[in-house]
Amino acid sequence: MKGLSDGAIAGVAGGLVFGGSMALYGTLPTVASIVRTGSAAVGFTMHMLFAVIIGAAFGVIVAARREVVVWGLLYGAFWWFLGPLTLLPLFRGHPVTWDLPSAQGLVPSLIGHLCYGLTIAVTIKILRADIPDSRPPTAVLVRGGIAGGIAGLLSLLPDGFLIGAAAGVLYPVVFRERENTGPALVRGSVYGVLWWVFFSLTAEPLLMDLKLDWAQPPVDQLPGYILLGALTAVCYTWLGSLSRVLFVDDVRMFPVESPGSRGVRALGYGVVAGLAGGAVFTAVMVVVGVLPTVALMVGSQNPVVGLVVHLIISQIIGISYAVLFRRQSYDLISGMGWGMSYGFFWWVLGNLTLLPVLTGRPVDWSPAALAAGFPSLAGHLAYGAALGVVYHVLEARTNPWWQTRNAAEQTRVDTRRRHTLGSAPALWTLTVLIAVVIPALIPR
Amino acid sequence: MTKRDVVVCAGAGVLCSLPELIVQRGLGAGYVVYALVVGVLIGHRRTGVAVGVAGGALIGVLGWLLVQLSLVPLLHGEIPAWSAGAVLRGYPVLVADVLHGGLTGFVLAFVPRVRKGHTTRESVRIVIVGGGFAGVSAAKRLERHALRGAGIDVTLVSDSNFLLFTPMLAEVASGALEPAHISAPVRSAVAHTMFRNGRVSKVDADARLVQVGDDVIPYDHLVLAVGSVPHSFGLPGVAEHAWTLKSLVDATRLRDHVIGRLELADNEPDGATREHLLTFVVAGGGFAGTETIAELFDLVHRIVHFFPGVDPGELRFLLVHPGERILPEMPANLADYALQRLKSRGIECLLGVRVAKATASEVWLDNGESFSTSTFVWTAGNRPNPLAGERAIETDARLKAVGLDNVWAVGDCARIPAPDGTHYPPTAQHALRQGTVVADNIAAVLKGHQPRDFRFRTLGLLVALGHRTAAADVRGRQFSGFAAWLLWRGVYLAKLPGMDKRIRVLFDWVLDLVFPRDIVVTGRDEVSR
Repeated sequence: MKGLSDGAIAGVAGGLVFGGSMALYGTLPTVASIVRTGSAAVGFTMHMLFAVIIGAAFGVIVAARREVVVWGLLYGAFWWFLGPLTLLPLFRGHPVTWDLPSAQGLVPSLIGHLCYGLTIAVTIKILRADIPDSRPPTAVLVRGGIAGGIAGLLSLLPDGFLIGAAAGVLYPVVFRERENTGPALVRGSVYGVLWWVFFSLTAEPLLMDLKLDWAQPPVDQLPGYILLGALTAVCYTWLGSLSRVLFVDDVRMFPVESPGSRGVRALGYGVVAGLAGGAVFTAVMVVVGVLPTVALMVGSQNPVVGLVVHLIISQIIGISYAVLFRRQSYDLISGMGWGMSYGFFWWVLGNLTLLPVLTGRPVDWSPAALAAGFPSLAGHLAYGAALGVVYHVLEARTNPWWQTRNAAEQTRVDTRRRHTLGSAPALWTLTVLIAVVIPALIPR
Repeated sequence: MTKRDVVVCAGAGVLCSLPELIVQRGLGAGYVVYALVVGVLIGHRRTGVAVGVAGGALIGVLGWLLVQLSLVPLLHGEIPAWSAGAVLRGYPVLVADVLHGGLTGFVLAFVPRVRKGHTTRESVRIVIVGGGFAGVSAAKRLERHALRGAGIDVTLVSDSNFLLFTPMLAEVASGALEPAHISAPVRSAVAHTMFRNGRVSKVDADARLVQVGDDVIPYDHLVLAVGSVPHSFGLPGVAEHAWTLKSLVDATRLRDHVIGRLELADNEPDGATREHLLTFVVAGGGFAGTETIAELFDLVHRIVHFFPGVDPGELRFLLVHPGERILPEMPANLADYALQRLKSRGIECLLGVRVAKATASEVWLDNGESFSTSTFVWTAGNRPNPLAGERAIETDARLKAVGLDNVWAVGDCARIPAPDGTHYPPTAQHALRQGTVVADNIAAVLKGHQPRDFRFRTLGLLVALGHRTAAADVRGRQFSGFAAWLLWRGVYLAKLPGMDKRIRVLFDWVLDLVFPRDIVVTGRDEVSR
């Protein structure tokens, strides 16, 4: 019951935020048309009613979950598919189309749903008194700022250093739990998208132009923000590890399993899994005819050379996956989730950024370039899925960390899964949904 | 998943496709097949509502990539393009797939899993006694069966908490390798098996109980892999005065003892006493004895320069073997080669004679000859661990102990019939495979399947003969000298359990090329042998 009531209250807060944006866009009458009226007030009332019901359902769903922010964002994104794309037309007596132009027209609604999801999650945290009393130590904030600054410089964004430093300082405030590099990278990618939504798409136009324009999202900046978030998280994690190595004398702060323990075998698994993913991706590359472009990285235009380079890169990324995501998946779906998230990150870093740089072309994140990269996006997601699944299968044969021998060990594993992997399913799914929503973000 | 579970999940998948089919009529009948498969995939692992919906949506996106963007064009005779145009055309299906996956995950989160017999299955208790090659190999294999869903609860009981890599034991005795580097902790080798460090004092096969100290461990299946212990055949004084080489403690004590002999001899004026201190006798010309005498020879001659009072000419090494040739398991020409190599270094090989008795200061042979020595190493006989009884446990070809219910025996303590009417030799390579097969056979029995016979043909035989020399027979291909020595090191390095141990041993070997052997005596030679 507590979850239900918390969720309902959170729904009110979320509904007010989302309702405000709807009032700004003048879409409340659309909601009111469900009851055959065009009144904005009725529309707002209807909207708030839905917001409370949906919020209450969220409260029940996450009642047993500690980490709710990412779940809230996913919940909002999922309701965009279910609400304006599906139920709203049905309630209004219109046919459901689910086509891309409709989705493109509903981008403001998508942003509103993300705001709604974030608001209900944060409100539930407040109602649970799950907000830390104190801010992180200054040293941690400085570390975040340095990590963000470095990431900002690398992300090729205008004023990247300043934006990165701000994002970096906020990162440890938002994410208090220490995380391994792989999950941190995926979490950082989502964090980058949030910065794109709330800063580039919302705060910046409001501050600079005093207007809110969610219908024309600056999609050319989205890859930069994804890189910014991911690199901030990675740099922050690595700087933390470095500072622990140099300055921490308490052995309890270090991981139980040393890197060398089963590490070499994990690298071998990464090679095999990377090859499996590369084989899947090869089909896309052959069809699209991109192998000669890949061969340009070594000064050739021969497709066979391109294939060899592609397979070598697949293995290197496979090894990096083994290093970053070792002991993170516990079933096929979790392996697939981490793998697809990692594949999406490599679409942004590899296909959209490094490939042009290494082949002597300018980096182009324009909507047209993103649209041209769709085959590669599909290939990267398929590559990631195969990589994650094969790696999980191989790792499960020799290192099934979730298999326990007694109650005490089970408690330890459960705690780890709850703390560090509690929001993982939401992270993977949100990342993959972001990937498939990109076509809708590209202007018609 | 049970068959009924598959049907339930497939049904849920199809049911959840109905809303999509109703509102999006363009999906077609093929979507039902897709929904069926997705239902099974999502239902394969069911958790809570949130994870179920998230996982379902994820599978929905992957399904869209694989089916709508890839498979459907292929079925229409077109090459998939995954282009902006294809995404535009396929976007309605993407939304349908995401919603279908989420809905299916949501529904299945409330559907209880169908279990066989509607009762919770009790885990079958399997106890493995012995932490050697066979026992650890069986535990590893059973871990894999547990991972695949076998309801088993495995406990491994061993009086040492590590797996000793015995082929390198002689090198520990010679100081070439650090003792801990050739042993892998059982707890890390089989990290998902319950480990009990203790000595089994009694097995009650009727009550299906194993006694460890004051505790009693019940079992449903018992695997005996207790190995062997040195056997002196009741020869007078041998058990009391001979050194053995079966454990790390044996190896380190022997090394300390040998260095201690040189320390004493360095300042010893009496000739008879010097002869007593500087004579080293090994009984048994099998693999263990041959490698031991060769390694002791290497050790003493590499450190003798630290002892100016010891003349290398005073050192005497004897290998006593009852057969007409050493290494009876090896082909005759390789055994002859080994004999020649040992003799050429000055090791005296006494063939066709047996040790008759031993005292604290002398070893007597059955031909009446005697040697004054304080270093007598016994490798001439082994017998099964006393827990197995007086003789090795007879098993059938499926490794099941004859006459005992649910008891299996593997490794050196078992007498396992080979197809040619003989019995398999007690070697590490056989023990490893027997461990795997016994685990498979227990899993098969639990499933109601037939266990399989143990069949294995020896891969090869390798013997190290000291300083960069060895002899090897690999499935009839023979090697000797430096090439065989490289092969010996390569094979055993690869077989050593654990990457960290391999790297440590490799470093030990490299350092041994550059630095002298250490003559630090880590323990005192006062412990009774």
